[in-house]
Amino acid sequence: MTVQAPPLTRPRADTVHRPSFLRSLHGEWIKLATLRSTWWSIAIAAALTIGIAMLIAQAVDQPGFDPIQAVVMPIQFTMLLAGILGAISVTGEYSTGMIRSTFAANPVRGSVLAAKAVVIALFLFVSSLLTFFAAALAVTAVVSTRDQSIDWSDPSASLLPIVVSSLAMAVFALIGVAFGFILRSGAGAIAATVGLLFVLPIVANFFMLAGESWAWVMDAAAYLPVAAAQSAILTDGAALETPVAYLTLAAWVAAGMLGAWAVLRTRDA
Amino acid sequence: MITAEGLTKRFGDKTAVQDVSFTVKPGSVTGFLGPNGAGKSTTMRMIVGLDRPTSGRATVAGREYRRLRAPLTEVGVLLDAKAVHTGRTARNHLRAMAATHGIPSTRVDEVIDLAGIGSVSRKRAGGFSLGMGQRLGIASALLGDPHTLILDEPVNGLDPEGVRWVRQFVRHAASEGRTVLLSSHLMSEMAQTADHVIVMGRGQVLADAPLEELVRAWTVNTVRVRTPRAADLAAAVGGPSVEIVSTAPDLLDIVGLPAARIGDLAADRGIPLHELTPTTGSLEEAYMALTGDSVEYRTKEIS
Repeated sequence: MTVQAPPLTRPRADTVHRPSFLRSLHGEWIKLATLRSTWWSIAIAAALTIGIAMLIAQAVDQPGFDPIQAVVMPIQFTMLLAGILGAISVTGEYSTGMIRSTFAANPVRGSVLAAKAVVIALFLFVSSLLTFFAAALAVTAVVSTRDQSIDWSDPSASLLPIVVSSLAMAVFALIGVAFGFILRSGAGAIAATVGLLFVLPIVANFFMLAGESWAWVMDAAAYLPVAAAQSAILTDGAALETPVAYLTLAAWVAAGMLGAWAVLRTRDA
Repeated sequence: MITAEGLTKRFGDKTAVQDVSFTVKPGSVTGFLGPNGAGKSTTMRMIVGLDRPTSGRATVAGREYRRLRAPLTEVGVLLDAKAVHTGRTARNHLRAMAATHGIPSTRVDEVIDLAGIGSVSRKRAGGFSLGMGQRLGIASALLGDPHTLILDEPVNGLDPEGVRWVRQFVRHAASEGRTVLLSSHLMSEMAQTADHVIVMGRGQVLADAPLEELVRAWTVNTVRVRTPRAADLAAAVGGPSVEIVSTAPDLLDIVGLPAARIGDLAADRGIPLHELTPTTGSLEEAYMALTGDSVEYRTKEIS
């Protein structure tokens, strides 16, 4: 390594290099794309989705079974990966100290939160879309042996569940992002995300065996993120009306982002 | 120009920084000194908006950090070398920072060269040595070619070459009219680098003065005299305000008289002198006098 003489500066037009929201998005995208954990998470989610979809398609052979269900059902497993990816995209910055560099470059904390949320949500949406389409192809191949197929002429039995599932993955990731900013510790944020997405619905299920007086627990559980997502994805026999399901998902995102913003704007980094 | 006005930060019932005011002027290097826990880092964190002051405010170029239009081109910040994601390569870290301001990747390569991390720029930062991490931190601070540099312990962990590079670099930056605020525990290094010194202790500013004034005010000037007639000389110069310490039969350390006066007195009495050395104090001595355990914390007006 050599010591360089210091002639390092030259006049620079300061007006050119200044932040904008688009540039913050670019910065967040570089941060997301340059971590191996991002691509591992997405690869595992894709493998799980396609593998489980094919297994379901192979195993469930009954009249009335729509193959599109096999395509979107694996979200029950991959939702956790989405939530965890969202959480560690934030907590990784806190545990390594990167967050101080992030805030030095963009001291407007709400803008950091918004940029990160948009990038994570878009990334999860697009990668999930591609994954579900790949799963749809795989499922088509499996069910074609028994002369079944996904009916692409009916969006509600093909395109719509795939798009809504991808949106749901983005929502789960944003819940992780929110817990990441609120709790800052990786273990805490992952525990909270898994708790909300995975554990609470199981707990609520116990109350199925309880009496009528506990029915409200089941009713309330329909508004949990994953339950609301299921109502939005497969509308037949859903617990929530479709618009209510969408609103519920939006409300979870809004609550998470507001909570994150509330702690971010006042707390020392 | 960095300005702190009545900055105060409390963590619970502990006051980390209390009513700190100072101005860091452009065109010179201002050293920021103080024992661990004196509140230096907290003050720097408040300047760059990471910590919110309990009261008071800090501005850079007249604006609070969070209101700066282009923070990276205004202020280069190195608060600790570990403000980097360990899983990302040095180059990608710098690319992500640069992207937020639309700084081109040619500048990323420039600062990589400047900081001397070209050989490791495509390695993940988690494996960096302390010195390499420090260089990456300095590279990030330089990305926007900022008018103001705020560097907390920049030479910590650097090899002698790196230490010299940082010194030359900040001197050069100041000569170009930039504002430099630099903290360090290396007194000898600070003495060579800084023009002006702010000393903090227990959350307060103990001294804020040009380096030379600070040293003069807080150290004693001793004159070392070697003479075969030490006892005679001691009698000749002795007086109520003069302190004489003899560490060897032919050696006197005299405090309270200038060297010229001692020489004249010796000449008057025909006392031969073999050595007459005025010694001025060092920054380290001044610092210890200001903050040391033996002395109570105190403030002193330096005009």
